[in-house]
Amino acid sequence: MRKSVNRPPTPDVMENQGKEPTFQELINIELIESGEKERLMELLRERLIECGWKDEMKALCRAFIKKKGRNNVTVDDLVHVITPKGRASIPDSIKAELLQRIRTFLVSAAL
Amino acid sequence: MSLPNEDDMSSSSDTQITSHIFGDLLDSIIVDVASECHRIAKLGLDRNFEEEEEELRLSAQARVRVADPSNSGEANSKYVVDIFGQTHPSVANEVFECMNCGRAIMAGRFAPHLEKCMGKGRKARAKVTRSSTAAQTRQSRGNPASTYSTYSNSNSTSRLSNGTSGVAGEEYSNGALEEP
Repeated sequence: MRKSVNRPPTPDVMENQGKEPTFQELINIELIESGEKERLMELLRERLIECGWKDEMKALCRAFIKKKGRNNVTVDDLVHVITPKGRASIPDSIKAELLQRIRTFLVSAAL
Repeated sequence: MSLPNEDDMSSSSDTQITSHIFGDLLDSIIVDVASECHRIAKLGLDRNFEEEEEELRLSAQARVRVADPSNSGEANSKYVVDIFGQTHPSVANEVFECMNCGRAIMAGRFAPHLEKCMGKGRKARAKVTRSSTAAQTRQSRGNPASTYSTYSNSNSTSRLSNGTSGVAGEEYSNGALEEP
């Protein structure tokens, strides 16, 4: 029977049962389920806006868009434009604060 | 809640996991910012898109002009340039006719002219109040109009409360109307 939709085959459930969830994955699930990931993201967003990081990134985007032309830009392009500078220009205090929060969560989650 | 493998947790992998989680958060936020900028660009919502360079240039120009010491203060030069690029002479130079004496007066000199023109000026009146002899001198000189003699009589007994602004103002500032 001809398929009307081109669809990749559904991954076989049997394949995944060999792998155990890594600690990383479990932590991730716990982060999301407890709502802590959302809280951390809001905190980081707020800090980055306060310190002007978001404005810097937006300026980078605007400059790139002006150069390349408004209609030729994809989200992917912009992500690639911002990511290196974005990761490097995070103020140390903000990074430390977030890492501390995450570490605290890890400790409490692991207990 | 207890997790398997917790005994395996060492401090270095701890830090690794922490950094990994932080990286995750950061990536999400970066994608958000990129998506927002993309949307603004595509929808043309950025009102400053064209103007930004022009504004930057203009603001830099304005800053230079403000910092320029030759422009500070009217006292330095007669022709100061304001923010619109206009120059004004320090004394207003439009000429018109004084409604009292009919002479052609410069606008910038109008107020001092009026002082002398009406009621013979503040300086003259102030001098009169100080000494009665001056008042007598004024009366003997003979004023051009009868109203003026009225005021010069009352000057010796009353003081001006404010500067001369016109005939009507004179009456009230004296506090009493002189009967003709």
